[in-house]
Amino acid sequence: MISKTLMAASTRPIILAILSRSEDYGYRIIQTVKEASGGAIEWTDGMIYPVLQRMEMDGLIASRWKLSAGNRPRRYYTITGEGREALAAEFVGWRSVWRALNRFMAPLPAAEQ
Amino acid sequence: MFDLETAIRRWKKDLRKHEVFEDGLIADMELHLREAHEDLKERGLEDAAAFDRAVAQLGDIAAIAGEYRKNRITAFNRRAPLRPGRFMPALVLNYAKTALRVIRRQKVFSLINISGLTIGLTVCMLIAMWVADELGFDRFHKNADRIHRVFRDESVTRAGSASALTSPPMAGALKADFPDVVKATRFGTWRKQLVSTGDRRFNELGFMHVDPDFFSMFSFPLRRGDPDTVFAEPYSVVLTESTAARYFGRENPLGKTLTVNNQFDVTVTGIAADAPSDSSLTFDFLAPFELLLRENFGEDIHENWGFNSFFTYVMLAPGAAAGDVNGKLKGYLKKHQPEDKDDLALQPLTAIHLHSDLGHDIRGRGDIKYVWIFGALAVFVLLIAMVNFMNLATARSATRAKEVGMRKVVGAGRSQLIRQFFAESILTALLALMASLILMELLLPYFNTLSGKTLLSPWRGQPGLLLGFLALALVTGLVSGTYPALYLSSFRPLRILRGIARPSGSSLFLRKALVIFQFSLSVFLIIGTLVVSRQLSYMKNLDLGFNQEHVVHLSLHGRLLEQYDAIRTRFLEHPDVLHVTASMALPTDIQSTPGTPEWEGKDPTARMEIKADFVDYDYIEAFDIPLVAGRSFSPEYADDMKSAFIVNEEAVHRMGLKPPVVGRKFGFWGIEGRIIGVMKDAHFQSLHQKIEPLVFKMYRPWLRRIYIKTRSTDTAATLRSLEATWNGMNPDYPFEYRFLEEDFDDLYRAEARLGIIFRSFTVLAVLIACLGLLGLASFVVVQRTREIGIRKVLGSSTSAIVGLLNRDFLKWTLLASILAWPAAYVVMRHWLQKFAYRNDLTPGTFVLAAAVALAVALVTVSLQSLKAARANPVDSLQRE
Repeated sequence: MISKTLMAASTRPIILAILSRSEDYGYRIIQTVKEASGGAIEWTDGMIYPVLQRMEMDGLIASRWKLSAGNRPRRYYTITGEGREALAAEFVGWRSVWRALNRFMAPLPAAEQ
Repeated sequence: MFDLETAIRRWKKDLRKHEVFEDGLIADMELHLREAHEDLKERGLEDAAAFDRAVAQLGDIAAIAGEYRKNRITAFNRRAPLRPGRFMPALVLNYAKTALRVIRRQKVFSLINISGLTIGLTVCMLIAMWVADELGFDRFHKNADRIHRVFRDESVTRAGSASALTSPPMAGALKADFPDVVKATRFGTWRKQLVSTGDRRFNELGFMHVDPDFFSMFSFPLRRGDPDTVFAEPYSVVLTESTAARYFGRENPLGKTLTVNNQFDVTVTGIAADAPSDSSLTFDFLAPFELLLRENFGEDIHENWGFNSFFTYVMLAPGAAAGDVNGKLKGYLKKHQPEDKDDLALQPLTAIHLHSDLGHDIRGRGDIKYVWIFGALAVFVLLIAMVNFMNLATARSATRAKEVGMRKVVGAGRSQLIRQFFAESILTALLALMASLILMELLLPYFNTLSGKTLLSPWRGQPGLLLGFLALALVTGLVSGTYPALYLSSFRPLRILRGIARPSGSSLFLRKALVIFQFSLSVFLIIGTLVVSRQLSYMKNLDLGFNQEHVVHLSLHGRLLEQYDAIRTRFLEHPDVLHVTASMALPTDIQSTPGTPEWEGKDPTARMEIKADFVDYDYIEAFDIPLVAGRSFSPEYADDMKSAFIVNEEAVHRMGLKPPVVGRKFGFWGIEGRIIGVMKDAHFQSLHQKIEPLVFKMYRPWLRRIYIKTRSTDTAATLRSLEATWNGMNPDYPFEYRFLEEDFDDLYRAEARLGIIFRSFTVLAVLIACLGLLGLASFVVVQRTREIGIRKVLGSSTSAIVGLLNRDFLKWTLLASILAWPAAYVVMRHWLQKFAYRNDLTPGTFVLAAAVALAVALVTVSLQSLKAARANPVDSLQRE
């Protein structure tokens, strides 16, 4: 179970990472996350929309309405230049955290025992 | 049965309960819901269950709404703060609109403000036009800066004396002897000329004589004729357009002949434009100077350096300095007349109108002092009006403080408020400008009569003047708006809106100072008016020492002179004619004779200048001049015509003669004789001058004016009958008479004019000051409404309250008077110095002026305080 705080902190980088591959829309972003994490990360569906709005306000992503194949209108989000920079920064941060965590969790070297 | 659309509609209704869900957001979520519903159905869920599941997955609506709300707040906080631009054109209209609204809403205040400013501006504009006209005299000549008039500095013979008159050879000699003098002309006349053609005859005063350089020096354009040849013949004449019209109507006057004095003819060779009203040189006819000398004096006068009777104008080479020429002119006269000790000097043409104090100068000149006085008056009146504006605007601060507070709270910056208040003051000034332009149009004819000018309305082709007035109004608006703008805009909104601060108290000192300043100016003007009018009435009522009443005079020239005895006899036959006599000069215009007279027992070094006139029998009697010794001229003594002199007391005193004076030897100009009578000193001259030594002698060939003293009964009828007698005898000369009293009035015309103008402006100034006082009083009354109410409830009487309210104002007025006194004393004493005979300043004048100001202030303030004191206290207390 992922804590609420971690979930909140990871939302933005995850969305940015997904959008950095290709444009996408809200419902599919949630499905992608769910599938990729093997169900470990499960967002409340409705909560993604305020987040997307806020990210758009911050200039990280942009949106436009598009008709999908099934003639259904969808709001597609794309990552902006600023968003890519933010993603890179987030990635460096997360990797540092992960490395640190990993190091402390590893068994101690023999010399130090 | 489950219906998806109904379910979605219901779900959306729930969403809409949160105002943060806008349509776009709802659409986002609806699409999401439908997609999730489809997916879940594909996975095998029932329609209704799939929907419920999808809604559940979407999560708590309130929580989502909360997130959206956070976004909204972030967005709001992030928006660029509203920062007003330095200048927002869109606001200009708004400033004007608001200003108009304020002006409309505060009718009484606006009326006081606008009418005060209107009066101030009108006065200022009228005077500005007058001053501009005075200062612009003679500047229309293209060569104005190079033209100078030659004058004689007589300070060697008499301290401080200088004369504008020069001799006939002067112009030519200067041009020949000084390379810097490139052109020169004489300008002068000898006496009135009778000019006639056909049945038109007029006695002409403006028959002037000039030299051929005249038209190339001065910019008096010729409408017809060639400036180089108009004076080729001595018997030629140039007429002004209006003169030409007078004699020839619409006919072409060129080549026509005019007869002068029934003695000789002149041919019209040119038509000149009328001399503009701002020209110190005035003329109706211009004829060669040659003609004047030939017809009046004979050829030898050409070289007479002592015959100082004409003006000489010279034009210097470009770049030549008048100072250098002045240096070379020192001692120049001596070369031509060894006994002449006077010096010559140049006076700029443009200085003649305002700055000349030469003797024998052109009549009707201005005086730079009056330009200063009126300029100061204009500034004073405008200042008073401006002070009013400031005062009222500040007084209104209590009313407007809330407005200022509100504006500031809503986001107006101080600079915007300042602009708003300036907009109000400038708009008020512009409204006042419009009103005063109309007012000026109405007043201009009266002002012209009053000032003796022919000022044109600025609308008639004087855009510069209009622009100047516009600038004046803008400056007035700006200046008078400065204090209110800075003061009102400085209010702190919170304090005012909470009702902590009543902003008006702090400015009370300034307002008092302004009112005191206003009233000081008013008192100053009142004193000025009183002094001027007292001096005028003093001069009018002073016993001049002779009787000028019921005397008419006629010109005596040409062949009339031969008929003088006959005319005199015929006139004396008329029952209403008391005396008929004649003299050379008008009593107001008796000139000094050159040189010192001789008398019995004279110290050889003694010097005395004496005024002399040549008179006929009956002169002393006609003017009722009392004799203190001896007798008048009489046909019974054969020698009287040749060798009798009558002198005045001043002459006796200055000669140091001891009685008996009658019978002493006396003489001047080489005429020897005896004193037969001593007359009492009389004021023939204006009262500006001291009574000077005077001598009368009989000499018939030089009589130029005939005087008729009539009974006071029916002067008009007498004159009609005299005219009939005249026409019967002298068909060649018109019966043109003038009352001697008019000539005496002319002596004080400038003062009389000053008196009227001073009085008018004083009334206006006091009026404006009263308007200010009225506004201020009404403000104070409003401020003290509660106090008045309480006092009345406690039993105070109306009169006690009026007294209470008036006390402050009276105190200020009194203080203002005391402040004005010293300034008025200094200025008016200086003015009175001009008069040798004057009504000295008395404390009474000053007290009276203060009393007038006090009374006016009292009436004004009482209007307001009475109203307040009479009001029902219940009303006022309820309102507060």
